[in-house]
Amino acid sequence: MSRTRVLALAALVTLAVLPWALARYQLSILTDLLVFGLFAMSLDLIMGYTGMVSFGHAAYFGLGAYGSALVLIHFGQPVPVALLAGALLAGAVALPVGWFSTRATGIYFAMLTLAFAQLLYTVAYKWRDLTGGSDGIAGVPKTTLFWGGPSLASPRAFYFLVAACVVLSLVACCALVRSPFGRALQAIRENERRFTSLGRDPRPFKLVVFVIAAVFAGLAGALFAPFRGFASPEVMFWLFSGQGLMMVIMGGIGTLVGPVVGAMVFILIQEVLSSYTEHWMIFTGALFVLMVIFLPGGLVGTARRLAGRG
Amino acid sequence: MAILVEQLLNALALAGLLFLVSVGLSLVFGILRVVNFAHGVFYMLGAYLGFTAVAVSGWFWLSLVVVPPLVGVVGALLEASTLRFIYRRPPIYQLLLTFGLALILEESVRVIYGPTAKGIDPPPLLQGAVEIAGTFYPRYRLFLVVLGIVVGLGVWLFLQRTRTGLVIRAVAQNSEMADCLGANVGRVRTLVFGAACALAGLGGVAAGPMTTAYLGMGIGVIVDAFVVVVIGGLGSIGGSMAGSLIVGAAQTWGAFYLPETAMVIMYAVMGVILIFRPWGLFGEEE
Repeated sequence: MSRTRVLALAALVTLAVLPWALARYQLSILTDLLVFGLFAMSLDLIMGYTGMVSFGHAAYFGLGAYGSALVLIHFGQPVPVALLAGALLAGAVALPVGWFSTRATGIYFAMLTLAFAQLLYTVAYKWRDLTGGSDGIAGVPKTTLFWGGPSLASPRAFYFLVAACVVLSLVACCALVRSPFGRALQAIRENERRFTSLGRDPRPFKLVVFVIAAVFAGLAGALFAPFRGFASPEVMFWLFSGQGLMMVIMGGIGTLVGPVVGAMVFILIQEVLSSYTEHWMIFTGALFVLMVIFLPGGLVGTARRLAGRG
Repeated sequence: MAILVEQLLNALALAGLLFLVSVGLSLVFGILRVVNFAHGVFYMLGAYLGFTAVAVSGWFWLSLVVVPPLVGVVGALLEASTLRFIYRRPPIYQLLLTFGLALILEESVRVIYGPTAKGIDPPPLLQGAVEIAGTFYPRYRLFLVVLGIVVGLGVWLFLQRTRTGLVIRAVAQNSEMADCLGANVGRVRTLVFGAACALAGLGGVAAGPMTTAYLGMGIGVIVDAFVVVVIGGLGSIGGSMAGSLIVGAAQTWGAFYLPETAMVIMYAVMGVILIFRPWGLFGEEE
């Protein structure tokens, strides 16, 4: 077995055993870490593999959260239905936004995604009747696994749902980036002009991966709403998009696993710092600046380099 | 008629403020190839330092002269201590670095000034209203229009007519060649970054009496400024001016006729322009 497989197996076993080793509060933090890990991973698809830096990824997380919250509150459907609804809503909105944004490249793309995300944030903030405005939607229930199936209300049950979603998404994304489609994305990242001159149009590829990334971000948001019990405009705010970028860079851009690790480290640091000082943002900011300067490969990228696998 | 004139002047005043912020953002991109996410925070810093300067000296004009260079020095120091080391990396790293700087600065302002907004009085000369075309219009907003035009002309003349401006334009066109020809590229970058921050700071001081100094004003303005430079084209002063006018008009008329959807109109305008000119009105394809 290769070293990667051993590590993957160890991670799976750890994820399976941890719920019995952790206290209730710790388990809820772990669930949180996984949800944000999924969010960061989805961002890595477009950022790390296609070279498109989106500064508005939080919008799709938020759309997923609102979609799932509305389905759970108004229709009381099983959680997977809500997950599907949230993910599809995010994807459906990402389609026109992506169509516009992928017309531009580089920094223009980043700004366009930011502008659209702020627009969606404003809509969520202002459309009081549907979204509850700044209060958001509270009291989102954790319903069942399927119609008449077991309840997901216990922290452990919901943890396993989240863990399963994250692991399956990671596997799916790994398969995606290794597929011919994924290779094409990396070719676009390396040299878009050359890709064009080889007779392919990069825009459909970029649009498709943008929508796929939004769907996974929406899935993360759709898990977030029932887990925390609410959906509010804050999760669509630009700050959260920026934090997503920080998670990806911290973990290691273009590694898929790295962003999951990055998200976990980021949230844990925040958790620890915020218990000491309310001004934790200063320290996160400083830490982040240092990481950008000294550890461009992120934690996983640096670890791989140290392990001699370039 | 009176309402039309008033709305037009409102749009121009807003455009004046937007221009002060977006021109620096655009210049830093044109010359350093960096999108400075912290640019809005320097605007906020200007407003808060302006508040302090007025509180200490009681003299608005003094703060208008003293604060921008201070903000510029802060910006130049940050550039020289962080950004300088990563110019060779892909642009995303510089964007993220400035995002980190923005977090640090925003939170530092919160620590120092606390969470409440700080009101600033306009100087006596600019208080009250003047009569224009049958309507009474606040003097202070007229001042913002004039300030925007004067600064725009000043920056343009500086870049076109002075020797330093020539070197800056050379670095913008081809930094390696400029380096070979003996220009001190590192110093030019620090200077431009500092000057851009000073302009944002000037915008902040000027905005204070109209909007008060409050936390979050930085991100509010940076998103608008991004829209301005995307519309106008990054790296172009004329583009910043055109973009500011368009965004100022869209926001003013949007807020007047369709209050709930003012933001949407701004993005719709941007969307339409980008369909026809993906690199902005005055921008060049990369």
